[in-house]
Amino acid sequence: MNSSEDSAEAIRMLRESAAAIVPPGGDLGRVRALRFKEPGYDPAMWRRMAALGWFALRLPEAQGGAGLGVAALAALAEELGRGLVPEPLVAGAILPAALIAAADEPGRAAALLPALLSGARTHAFAWQEAAASLDIARADTIAEARPGGGARLAGRKLFVPQAAGVDAFLVTAREAEGISLWLVPREAAGVALATETMIDGGNTGTLALDGVVLGAEARILAPARAPALLARTLDEAVIATAAALLGLMDRAFAITLDYLRTRTQFGKPIGSFQALQHRAADLLVQIELGRAAIGQAARLADDPAIPAPARAAAASQAKARASDAALLVTRQAVQMHGAIGYTDEHDIGLFLRRAMVLSARYGNAALHRRRHAALAPAIDTEE
Amino acid sequence: MSGAAAFGHDPTDYNAMPEAAFRQVVRRFLAENYPPALRHPQKRLHFRDSRPWYMILARKGWLAPGWPREHGGLGLSAGRQIALIEEYERHGCARSNDMGIVMIGPLLIRYGTPEQRARFLPAILSGEHIWCQGYSEPDAGSDLAALRTHAMREGDHYIVNGQKIWTTLGNDANWMFCLVRTDRQAKKQDGISFLLIDMTAPGVRVRPIVNLDMHDEFCEVFFDNVRVPAANLVGEPNKGWAMAKALLGFERIFLGSPKQSAYALERLGLLAERMGLAEDAAFQDRYAQLRLDLADLRALYERFAEQLRQGQELGPEVSMLKIWQSELFQRITETMLEIGGENAALAGPMEGDRDLNISGLFINARPTSIYGGTNEIQRTILAKNVLKLPG
Repeated sequence: MNSSEDSAEAIRMLRESAAAIVPPGGDLGRVRALRFKEPGYDPAMWRRMAALGWFALRLPEAQGGAGLGVAALAALAEELGRGLVPEPLVAGAILPAALIAAADEPGRAAALLPALLSGARTHAFAWQEAAASLDIARADTIAEARPGGGARLAGRKLFVPQAAGVDAFLVTAREAEGISLWLVPREAAGVALATETMIDGGNTGTLALDGVVLGAEARILAPARAPALLARTLDEAVIATAAALLGLMDRAFAITLDYLRTRTQFGKPIGSFQALQHRAADLLVQIELGRAAIGQAARLADDPAIPAPARAAAASQAKARASDAALLVTRQAVQMHGAIGYTDEHDIGLFLRRAMVLSARYGNAALHRRRHAALAPAIDTEE
Repeated sequence: MSGAAAFGHDPTDYNAMPEAAFRQVVRRFLAENYPPALRHPQKRLHFRDSRPWYMILARKGWLAPGWPREHGGLGLSAGRQIALIEEYERHGCARSNDMGIVMIGPLLIRYGTPEQRARFLPAILSGEHIWCQGYSEPDAGSDLAALRTHAMREGDHYIVNGQKIWTTLGNDANWMFCLVRTDRQAKKQDGISFLLIDMTAPGVRVRPIVNLDMHDEFCEVFFDNVRVPAANLVGEPNKGWAMAKALLGFERIFLGSPKQSAYALERLGLLAERMGLAEDAAFQDRYAQLRLDLADLRALYERFAEQLRQGQELGPEVSMLKIWQSELFQRITETMLEIGGENAALAGPMEGDRDLNISGLFINARPTSIYGGTNEIQRTILAKNVLKLPG
């Protein structure tokens, strides 16, 4: 597809269009106002993002998409992360769009994508059944085949991000041949959604499926293709979430540096104290390690020549660093602000709260370190 | 109603009793009297909620364990006071609005006039006066001596103008003990006086500040031409700094109390079980390390407690206790984030486990390295006053 110059230009334009929604250094009043009530984001903003073409970013041009790569997705996620944007671009649009676009029946994709890409219907990928897990195969949800096609789904899915605003769920379920993917409308009989508030003021959903009867057309992916596609798509979400953490920590760090330059105690800016200078320097190292790891993961994800384990390992490397670094940077940002940093009135706490949520989403640092270690032998043999 | 009728006296000489027997007395008292609903509060309680406990202590005559008998206290030695507080912590007792008892009471006993003692001490013991501390200002935090709230003498009054911040439970208090600048010419520490301000006086405005735990635990307090009788000055004018410093007594040991870390470690163990990690070798290694960190904290705490039991004062070394306790508490809650996965990002407790609120503990651990002198300041104290490094 694109030459690397074209791609760089596309990424530059994406970052610019993101700035329309999250102006650099812009105030966080909108983010604040959306906290602790459902759906946790602004539906009008959601449609605006759809209109910018972002939901179709990763789709091939033949499906109405922009045909851009993971590097472009990461760039956009970084900008939105910088602004603490609560609209669930990755979980609510990018991920489900990729899965629906890859449907076994091309007709299904054509029928379902317009409502998703326009922002009219919000979807979510509901795969998780345990905390601290990234294993798609770990699904106890059952799709029991019905005579004449279709299935009855029974099971329970956890931690669906910003679930309060979701219209339809893409649910993994086990059938005789393995894991398949089903489209479950929220209003279907037997579907119960319970939401809980997250520390950043967003929400998470627990989806209970109690004998939900679905027709054959609801099966988006059969076991033959599902596992590899789901894993690969989830890894893109991992990289995008790492990038959101990068944007977030980058801005929290900038706010903190401003404070170190301007806050005066003992007759001088506190940033002149060497203890704080060294700490700031250490945080810089962490942020740049994260930026490098994310860049590498996106590059490998966009290179079809790279074998799957190496791609996955690079995604884990990026998320492990980004999760740890974002928590470290935002914790230290609060600390270096002193008491004002511990108030809800000051914006710096918003960054810590979001870091807590995003570092845990799609696997935290500990999970990704373990996953990287498990994948490493496979990579070493490639080298 | 006169305040004096509302509080009792306990004539028992607990200092003469073996410590173990004293602890038994305290445990029985708590089992029989402490309101069960107030055990292990997740947040610092407001006076409206902790008042029942305050009044139980008042009636028992135990409100002011450290004050001398003649002022309505129990006259407990430092060692017995530590034992008492440890028993309270063990039982999960709430900390009530104790600034009157811990801070201004002892200050008035040491530096106040007979009139000031007669007016203020009984009102503390009866719960009529609830005190808050007015030290920090927006531009005077770590550098407290840079404070600017100004008190100008005008006849029999001081006219106070300025602003305090981080006033803990300032929204509960009707009195504030306050450091004010009375001499703008003098060098920093030399122009500061200690003033008692009626929070209900005209010109005092209190604005609660919501913290990261979404709790209005501290306040901003504004003074706009507040008239304060000169009789409310404690000690000599411009000598407030020395008095405030002298007040930083043995209570500093409690900033290093192992209770927060001990509670968090117990929660971590519970979380590991819930996450199926109790037998995980990597987790066991981390847990063993944290357990030893806590065991060493207890040993260090005990060393300082023993100093106090021997009648010695705490030196600047006690800063190390605060550093280790707060950072251990933080490390434990960071480990909870690590093993809790998505559960750690919930605003409330984990499903099916009402007492397991990971994000709450993690957020609560944040300010421990900020309040009571930031850990940066504590390290500077160790470097300068203990290690005598230059600079």
